[in-house]
Amino acid sequence: MDPIRSHLHLTSRRQFFSRTGMALGSAALASLLAEDSGAPVPHFPPKVKRVIFLFMSGGPSQIETFDYKPKLEELRTAELPASIRMGQRLTGMTAAQSSFPLAPSVFPFAQRGQCGMWVSDLLPHTARIADRICVIKSMHTEQINHDPAVTFFQTGHQIAGRPSIGSWLAYGLGSENKDLPAFIVLISQGSASSGDQPLADRLWGSGFLPTRYQGVKFRAAADPVLYLSNPEGLSAAGRRRFLDDLAQLNEQHYEDFGDPEISTRVAQYEMAYRMQTSVPELTDLSGESEATLALYGPNVRKPGSFAANCLLARRMAERGVRFIQLFHRGWDQHVNLPANHPRQCHDVDQPGAALVADLAARGLLDDTLVVWGGEFGRTAYCQGKLTATDYGRDHHPRCFSVWLAGGGIRPGLTHGETDDFSYNITANPVDVHDLHATILHLLGLDHTRLTFKFQGRHFRLTDVSGRVVRDVLS
Amino acid sequence: MPRCLTVALSVLALSTAGKPLAAQVRFNRDVRPILSDRCFACHGPDAKNKNIPLRLDSFDAATAVLGGGRRAIAPGDPVASQLIARVVSPVKGLRMPPAASGPPLTPAEVETLRQWVEQGAQWEKHWAYLPPERPARPQSPWPLRERNAIDAFVFTRLEKAGLSPSPEASRERLLRRLSLDLTGLPPTPAELDAFLAGSGEDAYTRAVDRMLDSPAHAEVLTARWLDAARYADTNGYQTDGERSMWRWRDWVIGAFQRNMPFDEFTIEQLAGDQLPHPTPSQRIATGFQRNHRGNGEGGIVPEEYLAEYAADRVETMATVWLGSTIGCARCHDHKYDPFTQKEFYQLFSYFSNIPERGRYFKFGNTPPLMPAPTPGDEAKLAAVDSKLEAAEREWARLQPSASGVLPPAWTTTRDRLLHATPRESFDGTRFLDAGSEPPLLGYFDRFTITARFTAEAPDGPLITRAKLEQEPTGWGVVLHKGKLRVYFSSRWLDDALHVETAAPVSLHQPHHVAVSYDASRVAAGILIYIDGEQVPVKILVDELNQEFRAKEPIRIGGGGGPGDPSREFFKGAIGEASLHGRVLDSAEIAWLASPGRSAVSLDAAAPELRRAFSHLFDLRQERARLIRGFPTVMVMEDNPVPPRAHVLLRGAYDKPGDEVTPALPASLDTGPAATRLALARWMVSRQNPLTARVIVNRYWQMIFGTGLVKTVEDLGSQGEWPSHPELLDWLAVEFMDSGWNVRQLLKTIVTSATYRQSSRATPELIKRDPENRLLARGPRGRLSAETVRDQALAIAGLLDRRVGGPSVKPYQPEGLWKELSGMEYDQDHGSSLYRRSLYTYWRRTAPPPSMMNFDASGREVCLVRASRTNTPLQALNLMNDVQFLEAGRFLAQRMMREGGTETAARLRYGFRLATARFPNEKELGILMGALAHHRDRYASDAGAAAKLLAQGEAARDASLPVADHAAYMAVASMILNLDEVVTKE
Repeated sequence: MDPIRSHLHLTSRRQFFSRTGMALGSAALASLLAEDSGAPVPHFPPKVKRVIFLFMSGGPSQIETFDYKPKLEELRTAELPASIRMGQRLTGMTAAQSSFPLAPSVFPFAQRGQCGMWVSDLLPHTARIADRICVIKSMHTEQINHDPAVTFFQTGHQIAGRPSIGSWLAYGLGSENKDLPAFIVLISQGSASSGDQPLADRLWGSGFLPTRYQGVKFRAAADPVLYLSNPEGLSAAGRRRFLDDLAQLNEQHYEDFGDPEISTRVAQYEMAYRMQTSVPELTDLSGESEATLALYGPNVRKPGSFAANCLLARRMAERGVRFIQLFHRGWDQHVNLPANHPRQCHDVDQPGAALVADLAARGLLDDTLVVWGGEFGRTAYCQGKLTATDYGRDHHPRCFSVWLAGGGIRPGLTHGETDDFSYNITANPVDVHDLHATILHLLGLDHTRLTFKFQGRHFRLTDVSGRVVRDVLS
Repeated sequence: MPRCLTVALSVLALSTAGKPLAAQVRFNRDVRPILSDRCFACHGPDAKNKNIPLRLDSFDAATAVLGGGRRAIAPGDPVASQLIARVVSPVKGLRMPPAASGPPLTPAEVETLRQWVEQGAQWEKHWAYLPPERPARPQSPWPLRERNAIDAFVFTRLEKAGLSPSPEASRERLLRRLSLDLTGLPPTPAELDAFLAGSGEDAYTRAVDRMLDSPAHAEVLTARWLDAARYADTNGYQTDGERSMWRWRDWVIGAFQRNMPFDEFTIEQLAGDQLPHPTPSQRIATGFQRNHRGNGEGGIVPEEYLAEYAADRVETMATVWLGSTIGCARCHDHKYDPFTQKEFYQLFSYFSNIPERGRYFKFGNTPPLMPAPTPGDEAKLAAVDSKLEAAEREWARLQPSASGVLPPAWTTTRDRLLHATPRESFDGTRFLDAGSEPPLLGYFDRFTITARFTAEAPDGPLITRAKLEQEPTGWGVVLHKGKLRVYFSSRWLDDALHVETAAPVSLHQPHHVAVSYDASRVAAGILIYIDGEQVPVKILVDELNQEFRAKEPIRIGGGGGPGDPSREFFKGAIGEASLHGRVLDSAEIAWLASPGRSAVSLDAAAPELRRAFSHLFDLRQERARLIRGFPTVMVMEDNPVPPRAHVLLRGAYDKPGDEVTPALPASLDTGPAATRLALARWMVSRQNPLTARVIVNRYWQMIFGTGLVKTVEDLGSQGEWPSHPELLDWLAVEFMDSGWNVRQLLKTIVTSATYRQSSRATPELIKRDPENRLLARGPRGRLSAETVRDQALAIAGLLDRRVGGPSVKPYQPEGLWKELSGMEYDQDHGSSLYRRSLYTYWRRTAPPPSMMNFDASGREVCLVRASRTNTPLQALNLMNDVQFLEAGRFLAQRMMREGGTETAARLRYGFRLATARFPNEKELGILMGALAHHRDRYASDAGAAAKLLAQGEAARDASLPVADHAAYMAVASMILNLDEVVTKE
């Protein structure tokens, strides 16, 4: 943290504590909820205040969604030309295949909206918001396997130990809401999920940043946040009394010992108490209108579904949560892709489009960034047996598609080009660090200046690379 | 935050000096941090690779005359020094560092540089790379308060800062502090009473010795070592399958319990396997280097992960022993410290010489591994061995001379899962369905497949249990192009074992085949016998990684495999196909293959002979089962022929550069070290300037919360200047002189007057030294994650004190594993819920939340810096986690049963259990008020009381009145939430 900004943090936090009549502990800096509700201090004026990241875990196929390849139709069952593969590595799952037959999408594409963006029939609702989103067809990554690729996408590095993107933002910008975490994670299970491709806590972990910056998982369980509810048999009034007595005893002790850490702890118990109210209020969807619920589709009534999580994401955005990370599992279709990709797309299509529309209707889209995408794409050639109706696709890191929507994004744009095989990028490549740099840029942060010193090095989310993709900015 | 600290310290330095820096600028303390942090990234050790002519990391380079006769540094002449001109240049394009590399230097930093140049720009080698020398004990102004040399150093520093030491802490608080630091547990009332009754220094020393000698102490040291060693119970990537390294963890506990000298402790963990005639214990110790994560994800490129594992070993070793960030040199020469990329790969080559797979098994331990029986296991084995010996003798006595043929005749009919099928002829159009009754055999099973056959064609399945596909899941024995091929396949191409006979099998002639598999999951575990003789094989695929069972019937003469399963069947005859639920030995297989065996009558032998053999056989089986059941541990081993090692360009596994051989970095090296053992010995030799400093610094952190060098993971150029450099060196030398005696080191620290100070702080002192780096008061800080939980269990009287053993699964909120991976968390019950937290099962991708909430290390990578935050999630955790609620319930029970009959006495008792002191009047008043409130409430709502008391699985004392117990529980839970309770003070 640069000294000026850390001074500002200190000042604003001091003011908070002076308002509440408390002294400041060194770990007052250590609160999970950024209590400095004063203005965050970005490097330059931000375009957006928050991010909703719809992460498609497992790797959706670009060929069945956004990267229209009519040429593949003609080349069906033909071998992937060596001139296209260029000796690049494959995963061990298909490297030993004796043949690499090309498999076109069995799902038709059409041009959508005013902009004429190509979107497949698997995503009819997304197709309807084509003029609001920007598709990048030229994403690429260095990683070819799930664990390192998802870790790379979420932390900027394939090996565990680095902070996740949400942690960087919680560290860099804090929260706009003192009763909710700055960084919240929501998980849903895909309809095609077979239990493969697990997620890991590290994907929202704080790495070497203090643990207060880690993402807080909200769950579709009795306790949306772990340990939130009082035990049965202890009423709200009982808890209030408990906290009052506890505060008195702690304050007594503070008078004796003088360690500001004690008064910080008192404050944290009060925040915990406020969370016991603010979190259930947040996750209670009963106040949503029928029209709104209908917008997100029937699954919105199923707690823990992607649809319900999208609606929660909007409610979090309204309350100033800085980084809202959704994970939707189940995209890893090595086999049976024509049966399973439609199920996965059905899970996410309507809710994702509804989220964008809902944010727009409430005037929130202008200062929110929505990102949709997975850790890599899928191969143009078939994994396993290619039949008229069935095929699978292996991991493909060399090109895949993501979409962005919201403040500062050029809507209706399709950025980047791939070859006729959706194998190599032919124009405007965007790597994961570039996407990170762009997200940070929209939040008013220079990705080269958001650093944290650890083991003698000033680390950043974008490691030693990253370039803001100016073409997608409005 | 490092930055805040730097500011705080320089404020202290300035204010204590009371005058400008002049006459005091010291290169290592004042100048190197600025040059390193702000200049070295471009003008440091890596400059040559960036074609930057100016280097600022040595005197000669920095004072050299460059183009135009200019010099970066002209010693004694700041005006002629470009360095000074450039850092203050108002011209943006000229000012250093460039805007892209960060903000300009502060005026204070510039002034430091200017004065240093003016004073002659004296250079020093980085302090940590100079061997520590024992400094003279300084004369402090408070000699009477000193208890040992530590105090002399600390007090001298205090005096310079215009501060003075605090009085000694109260005896109760002191004992609690000591107990939490050394054992991770609070003192019991009996220990407190004994201590308070004892007098003076002697009682304190006795308490210290008692604690240092306890298993609990070994457990506390182990918990911190597990963080450094990135120990866990799972593999850490993707599916995150289970592994078993707890025998290594127990080795660590044992080593600390015996106070093994730290040099031995180091050598055994780094190179125990290379010691002459290593003991099993010395080999287990090397498990340290196998604790890194292992990737079993399908489709990975194994070479990529082989490089990752070796790099992890180097980086971990560098952090743990050298306090060095040499890992930065993996992709390029180090930017701050004197390590080249080549030197990184020289270290790497010590650790890449190991016969391991890049793709780890998804579940279980991956070779090299060894059985690691516990003492209990060894005792069981000894008991079986003595019975076995007697049985062998009895058999030798009875055995008729020519009956070698009998035992196989008996044993091969035992453990048979599929009885020998009758001989059938196959014409290539059909197969025989032998049914689905035999149990499914797979990955972790040991079995043998046998049959007789006469083949009339070179292709066709003999016996299979696999899906009817060309590249099926399952197992099969098939003829393929005349050779006999065996497959165990989860995914045909890359998750399978494929083995075939080196030579073809002749057609039109009868043969016997046997295939055994020993559950080792590697191709070498498959043996093929033709006509009773083991034959040479060719390994085609050796990449089995997960279960290969297929829910299919056994098929004879047909099934999935290389041919088309719908058309290609066996041609010829097959008979006596059978399946045995164990690995038959060569004698048994020879017997099965022998043509004349059907003539032997099994019943002809004398009954006593059969009984004796049967007994012997059972014991042999029992022994084998016992050994198979031993826990294993992954360890280090050398390859028979060391593989070539190379610099990996930009760190990429597939871009080898120059070949390298093992060697120490030149800047640290004092001689050759060709083996890991030589490296290990150097690590704890006097030639190494770092290890002793690094280790004493970390133990200092464990006791005081912050190291003398706060950046405990980095004592290099970018590390922090020590708060007490002489003390650090004194401790390091003392540690080595003591024979690397950890217990003595800790005793020296905790018997110092510095440690024994009260941790009370005045507002002035807080303002002056918020982090207590100068130690004008005793240490105060939140307990570690493990201690927060262990202490609650101890206060409640629930703690299970068993030492060691497999990890346990205590309470955790439902569904946490399932939502991430689909796997169920199978929570333990009974006493396993109350083991110390270092035994809690550690799943890397979903670590225990109540540990992570309290800043535990995630155990994915090595972590040595202690972190303490203060968050609302911790508050929720302590208030609402069933583990802590149940502890509250049992603390309440102890108050009611052990605390006397009076309310005040019970509350005083409970408060003292948790804080080691009695509450004062005001505190007691609050407790009494709280109890009265809850009592009223629960007296009128018995249902609520019963619900509250239902927290946790341990049964409550039903004789206690429900409403009363619930009210005490509410108060007890509050006591466990007190800041004082979760804090050592």
